[in-house]
Amino acid sequence: MALGESSEALLRALMRELSVRLPVPCGHHEGASIAEPPRVPGRDQLDADKLLQQVEGVPRADDALLVCLCAEDIGNRIFSYFFGRARLDGSAVLVSLARLDPRFYGLPPEEAILVDRAIKEIRHEMGHSAGLQHCLDPDCLMHFSPDVEALDLRGAEYCADCGSVVSRLFAPAL
Amino acid sequence: MSEAAENRGLRILVVDDEDIVRESLTEWLRDDGHQVSAAPSARDALRLVAEQEFDVALVDIKMPRTDGLELQARLKEKAPNLSVIIMTAYASVESAVRALKGGAYDYVVKPFDPDELSHLLRRTQEHRSLRTENMRLKQSLEASGEAREFIGVSTAAERVRERIDTVASTECTVLVQGESGTGKELVAQAVHRRSSRRYNPLVVVHCGALAEGVLESELFGHEKGAFTGARYHHKGKFEQADGGTVFLDEIGDISPQVQVELLRVLEEKAVVRVGGRQTIPVDFRIIAATNQDLEACVRAGTFREDLFWRINVVSIWIPPIRERIPDIPVLANHFLERFCRNMSKKPKTIGADAMEALLACPWPGNVRQLKNAIESAVVLGKDNVIGVGDLPDWVVATADRVRPRTLADIESSHVRRILDEVGGNVTEAARILGVDRGTLYNKIKKFGIPRSADDS
Ligand SMILES: [Zn+2]
Ligand SMILES: [Zn+2]
Repeated sequence: MALGESSEALLRALMRELSVRLPVPCGHHEGASIAEPPRVPGRDQLDADKLLQQVEGVPRADDALLVCLCAEDIGNRIFSYFFGRARLDGSAVLVSLARLDPRFYGLPPEEAILVDRAIKEIRHEMGHSAGLQHCLDPDCLMHFSPDVEALDLRGAEYCADCGSVVSRLFAPAL
Repeated sequence: MSEAAENRGLRILVVDDEDIVRESLTEWLRDDGHQVSAAPSARDALRLVAEQEFDVALVDIKMPRTDGLELQARLKEKAPNLSVIIMTAYASVESAVRALKGGAYDYVVKPFDPDELSHLLRRTQEHRSLRTENMRLKQSLEASGEAREFIGVSTAAERVRERIDTVASTECTVLVQGESGTGKELVAQAVHRRSSRRYNPLVVVHCGALAEGVLESELFGHEKGAFTGARYHHKGKFEQADGGTVFLDEIGDISPQVQVELLRVLEEKAVVRVGGRQTIPVDFRIIAATNQDLEACVRAGTFREDLFWRINVVSIWIPPIRERIPDIPVLANHFLERFCRNMSKKPKTIGADAMEALLACPWPGNVRQLKNAIESAVVLGKDNVIGVGDLPDWVVATADRVRPRTLADIESSHVRRILDEVGGNVTEAARILGVDRGTLYNKIKKFGIPRSADDS
């Protein structure tokens, strides 16, 4: 599902990439929305914790993991921002496109970079929802990235250990 | 530090009365690979610290019924090695600064950037392992008895050691002067080690090696965003040295602008980080060093006179090695022994011809250059005795050019040669030289000739 204004073209590009990279069927949950997403008081941001809780409550097929992409920046009372949020073993993933967009850093828009970062961040948060913590392998998708530079440097794939956990969970048939 | 060591994680205690803060932080810190416990109150925090060991405590400075500063003091009392990081809101940054003065490691302002927190924890971890490493190093140095001292038998060397002893116990600013390579840093270390500040850090700044802007933020620190690339706030050397000594090497090289800043810091005993507004009190002692004639710099207008007088409270002058010839054999043998040991080679001695060349060389690069020459001789020398051929060519070449010609020089090398010929037997050497043993002993002492073991 998508929150806020994101271009149709961007969403299509993300869906295409995700379908290629995920071992499970992937679809757009068009109907889902949150009328008044919770905000962080005093800041121009959505409250990541409260929002994630609401996204987890959105009705859908039993075993579906819901990925919510939001256009706005997310944070909470303690942290000034997050790229994404997911609970360990949770049923939803929240990713904000705001700080993944080169424009946020005063650079010209470049969709390829935005898509690349978003895919990495979505799969990273999916790893958390599959129960994974951060991984020490700097090339692994589950390695911690404190900023976009680190996110760009981080590998595009899980390491063998993390990968086996994710595929066991998302594709028990494989 | 290796990736793995860096990521091994810290044992962190989060102290905050707000549930959401505790939960969010705990979860995030666990994700980041740390072991986390949380306490909602000062009482719980103190109980936890009594029960188990923590590396870091993240403490909210403003909790109902609890003064964060007082809690910090009581935590440090129970666990002196704990690094306390204060969490504060913008409104109370001033009390965070008070916390720093009270021994907190650092503070963060809520809400904080995830990368800032991550960076801060990594720095804390590095700082902690450096501290452990330093303690280990100090213990091993003390155990091996190799506390590095200012070596030499000359009256000049004796005077330097006396001076070190005199100033060490005071809090005076010390100016160490001498040509490059004379061992100014060694003197600074000796002063620090003998002072009451010895259990706190000695922080070294090579002023000449850093560009002006870099030097400023190195010395005084900077706030996040102070300039392009300042993505995290950074503690300057004065803050790092808190309670200890700052050694400012090549102080003559600093720019007029930094001279002004430095003077202010020395007068106020407080720093303001670049890009910051808070005055942070710091407790330090300054030892400065220079190979320039600072008084001449003052006259030429390149060095501020007020700063000069601030720094030049006590001065220690280290004469160049060519003015303390008797120290050459002692230093040479000291380095020889050290390099043989470090390179696991059999003990070597220095042959008479080689020693003569060492004595005759003017050593423009001073002790450092002598040390390098001995090192290369130990590496290249095949025999147990280092001959003139094992020394770097330039030593021999310059020695030949400026072969000593004073009477004392010739007397010294003659005594040396005879002693060498008779294997260090003083009675025998005295007989050949036609003097009594007492006279020869005096000469040996005067010329600083090392005595071999079989001297009976
Ligand atoms: Zn993560
Ligand atoms: Zn991994």
